[in-house]
Amino acid sequence: MSRRSRPREEDDRSIVSTSDWRRPRIRRTFGALHAALLVLLVVFGLGPILWLAKSAVTTTQDTLRDPMALFPSGIDWGNLAAAWNEVHIDVQFLNTIWVALGAWAVQLLVATTAGYALSILKPRYAGILNGLVLATLFVPVVVLLVPLYLVIIDPPFIHTSLINTFWAVWLPAGANAFNILLVKRFFDNLPREVFEAARTDGAGSFRLFWSVVLPMSRPILGVISVFAIIAAYKDYLWPLLVLRDPAVQPLSVRLPTLQRAIELDVYLAALAISTIIPIIFFLAFQRVFLRSAGLGGAVKG
Amino acid sequence: MKSRTTALAAGFTALGVLAALGACSAPAADDGITTISVVSLIPGSDDAAFDAFNEQVAQFEDANPDIKIEPQEYEWTGPTFAAQLAGGTLPDVYTIPFTDTKTLIENGQLADITAEVEKLDYADRFNPNVLAQAQGSDGQIHGLPTAAYGNGLQYNRAIFEAAGLDPDSPPTTWEEVRDAAKTISDTTGLTGYATMAASNTGGWQLAVATYARGGRLEVPDGDSVRVTADNDGTKDALEFLKALRWEDNSMGADFLLDWGTINQAFGAGQIGMYTSGSDIFTNLVQSQAMDPADYGLASLPLEGSDAGVLAGGTVASVNIKATEAEKAAAVRWIDFYYMQKLIDQDAAVLDAKTLAESDQPVGVPALPIFDEATLEESRQWISEYINVPQEQVSFFLDNIFDQPTIAEPVAHTQDLYAALDIVIQAVLTDPDADVDALLEQVNVDIQALIDADQ
Amino acid sequence: MSTTVQRRRPRAALSTWLRGGGLSTLVFLLPMLVIFGVFSWYPIVQAGIMSFQKTNLVTAPEFVGWDNFARVLGDPNFLIAVQNTGYFALLALLFGYPLPLVAAVLMSEVRRGKGLFSALAYLPVVVPPVVAVLLWKFFYDGRPAGVFNTIIGWVGIPPQPWIQNAMQAMPSLVLEATWAAAGGTVIIYLAALTSVPPELYDAAEVDGASVWQKVWFVTLPQLRGVLLITLILQVIGTSQVFLEPFLFTGGGPANSTVTVLLLIYRYAFQNSLGGNYGAATALSVMLALFLALLSLVYFQLTKRWSS
Repeated sequence: MSRRSRPREEDDRSIVSTSDWRRPRIRRTFGALHAALLVLLVVFGLGPILWLAKSAVTTTQDTLRDPMALFPSGIDWGNLAAAWNEVHIDVQFLNTIWVALGAWAVQLLVATTAGYALSILKPRYAGILNGLVLATLFVPVVVLLVPLYLVIIDPPFIHTSLINTFWAVWLPAGANAFNILLVKRFFDNLPREVFEAARTDGAGSFRLFWSVVLPMSRPILGVISVFAIIAAYKDYLWPLLVLRDPAVQPLSVRLPTLQRAIELDVYLAALAISTIIPIIFFLAFQRVFLRSAGLGGAVKG
Repeated sequence: MKSRTTALAAGFTALGVLAALGACSAPAADDGITTISVVSLIPGSDDAAFDAFNEQVAQFEDANPDIKIEPQEYEWTGPTFAAQLAGGTLPDVYTIPFTDTKTLIENGQLADITAEVEKLDYADRFNPNVLAQAQGSDGQIHGLPTAAYGNGLQYNRAIFEAAGLDPDSPPTTWEEVRDAAKTISDTTGLTGYATMAASNTGGWQLAVATYARGGRLEVPDGDSVRVTADNDGTKDALEFLKALRWEDNSMGADFLLDWGTINQAFGAGQIGMYTSGSDIFTNLVQSQAMDPADYGLASLPLEGSDAGVLAGGTVASVNIKATEAEKAAAVRWIDFYYMQKLIDQDAAVLDAKTLAESDQPVGVPALPIFDEATLEESRQWISEYINVPQEQVSFFLDNIFDQPTIAEPVAHTQDLYAALDIVIQAVLTDPDADVDALLEQVNVDIQALIDADQ
Repeated sequence: MSTTVQRRRPRAALSTWLRGGGLSTLVFLLPMLVIFGVFSWYPIVQAGIMSFQKTNLVTAPEFVGWDNFARVLGDPNFLIAVQNTGYFALLALLFGYPLPLVAAVLMSEVRRGKGLFSALAYLPVVVPPVVAVLLWKFFYDGRPAGVFNTIIGWVGIPPQPWIQNAMQAMPSLVLEATWAAAGGTVIIYLAALTSVPPELYDAAEVDGASVWQKVWFVTLPQLRGVLLITLILQVIGTSQVFLEPFLFTGGGPANSTVTVLLLIYRYAFQNSLGGNYGAATALSVMLALFLALLSLVYFQLTKRWSS
């Protein structure tokens, strides 16, 4: 853990040593390989996205007839306006944001409170609960699909269907064992002395949680938030099943059905609009994204 | 500490309860006003279509101040009808295709509205074959047929012209269809002839093609039904597709089309001809923004004895969970919105006028719910509002009443269509597809389902 | 932390428990208990039960014993789905497992601009999966003027049917799936590569190891844990592929891209007249058991290798 907190600069060496780098053959080979890799990454990684950006402002006929050409009939900015206004993907866009925010909040609530209880408060039955939570990690999501759907249709205690409400997506999102695992591990690694000190100062469980543990948890909360938000806007099958009304559908569910209802150029513009926000977020918060992605693998290992 | 903890605990619990309450929708408790939810239009229909619908809702509510209507976008595709039913998110009034009404009635999922229907003064004028689609085996009525249609050959007049074909003399035999398709693909590079092949619509159109060649997919066998997917009509239809696909290459490059995507491609001017219901003009113009001037409808070439046109239609039904008051209100809405324009001149004119004013199609080709004379008469009433170019669809209308109409296969229809989808996809994507073996497999698979029901 | 209090006075357990903060602990556990209980544990148990029942949601469910399982096993589409899923998983492994490793090893040696490489690699992962599939669906248009057909036309290859052909459909799906996911694997490997102790490289150099030998004898063995975990996770993940077959081909052409998940979806939700929820849960349970067994066997086999 402590190693990762140091920025990885030239003082950490990797496979190729400094003396290796001085040899021209190594330099040339790696230079060529890196250049080739860069080209491949640009063409394959960036290429499709750039094409989408280009086609979003190209007319339908151009895209159909000569998809690789650059604006034979000129740029058609109207596509973007049409997608936003006439087809009203602004509604679904907002829905995506709502879904993501709610899911994020629920996940944060569940993960922090559960992690705190299991790691720091540690009642005698913590072991059992831990096991029950971990066990769900081994159950593939598909098993839950049908029964969870039925629970949403007829929830216990409330007995009103949650279909077509955001709750149908928010609440199940909280049942994420991975988050609890991450938070619990993080809390396990926090220095106990801080808690002892706070306790002797007379802090109760709630004060301890709110004023001591949470402020120290920023890094893990950041990771969980990234995971939660990414998972929320990627989600397709579940929102497809429970959000049937287009007025509450997020973009991921709406876009495939939209294809049948509108022209190609407006459709591609809609696709482009749906991609732009995640990409902007990514570019802005690159470090958090990449660190979370790497952390995910490390935790699994 | 303890009191603080308890207080906080109480606080959390209260929040939880509030949240739970918030998730419940407060039932509208209006005295004397019955609120029912009804289907409006397919999602993705344009704003003008919604305006026209809302206008009609307003008209109904004016005439029936004790009923409030809540429209709901709705499309009868894919999953969750039963789940919607169980979850209570199915509207009180919704429409079902003829294909599925029998099964739903057997399953007890459609409300019995015989009493309310018999109060309507046209209850005995229904074409018995059409009304039968909405009746259970005991004769009880579970819905009202609101539309009936045949299948026809859809073609794009503009593409015909571009290919040097005469849009006013569409093909009348399957050979001519093949030739026209080849001409179109050779001269314009567009798809000459396309067919649905996915989401069970492929099987549906294969049934259409089968009937048009005199074949039948299911035949009665004592008390049960025998699947005869390997009949000559189906084989001929598949050979036809095979020839167009692999010899003429006139079927384009997309073989996974379903009802929506084929309409879209057609509306976008990429397909020359295909077969579909005679009522799709509305979808083409409302959702696919097709230019009405390009639309052409011809009758299906019928070849062979026993050939006929597969007829379909829509039934408006009431949610089985509706209360008595809601059922009565629902039937009144069905009567107003779906039925009146078929039999009452004022209603027909008002409906046509409202639609025409929002540039919605009026006068889409249809089959009679009551009888041919009534249909003719209603056409006369609204003649000044008809904006579907009648000359362009005359090639269909002139013949349809002489063509025998045949109902869809009755047993496990959706499963049969799904199995036939696979056959069509195989024929269109694999030049070596063994048609006989594939059809034989369909026989076996669907027969197993039918036998399991016994 | 507070258990010592309880041990002293077991009789007055409740008040001690309360005073020891037992209530507040429960309050903290409440969100998890409610959410997991209602939306995770209960459905899991329900799934097991439903796989032995027949229900159409309107009438009460009835127990039908092993019927659902028999129905699934007897369905010709079941074998097809299993084969297709296996094929997808295999292809995905072939494309998506070694390539990210190679890329990560190369990228870890980039001296300047590593951020650019990482960002470019991860970019496709950021694109919402639905958008990626719909975009690639358009790329795979079988017409000669389709995007990919135009590109391969530049090097003289004739237009391909891509997803319109039973043989090419699955590889086409895997290609897009790999594009969308490989970047994540690259980043995971990259992070793992940083945790290789540099002293090992130093030691290897003392022994005169070349770059390639260092990779083979130091890097890869050190990465063993991550590599093994990623392998099984990829297999588990690709066994449950749904989005690509669903949006690209709907399972076609001619069922060549029907996967197990798609079959489950079809059982439950495809038939508009009420799904076969029993068959759907039965198949889900079977898949879950299979994956659990697979993981168990896998971990047993690799226990020797991974520590």
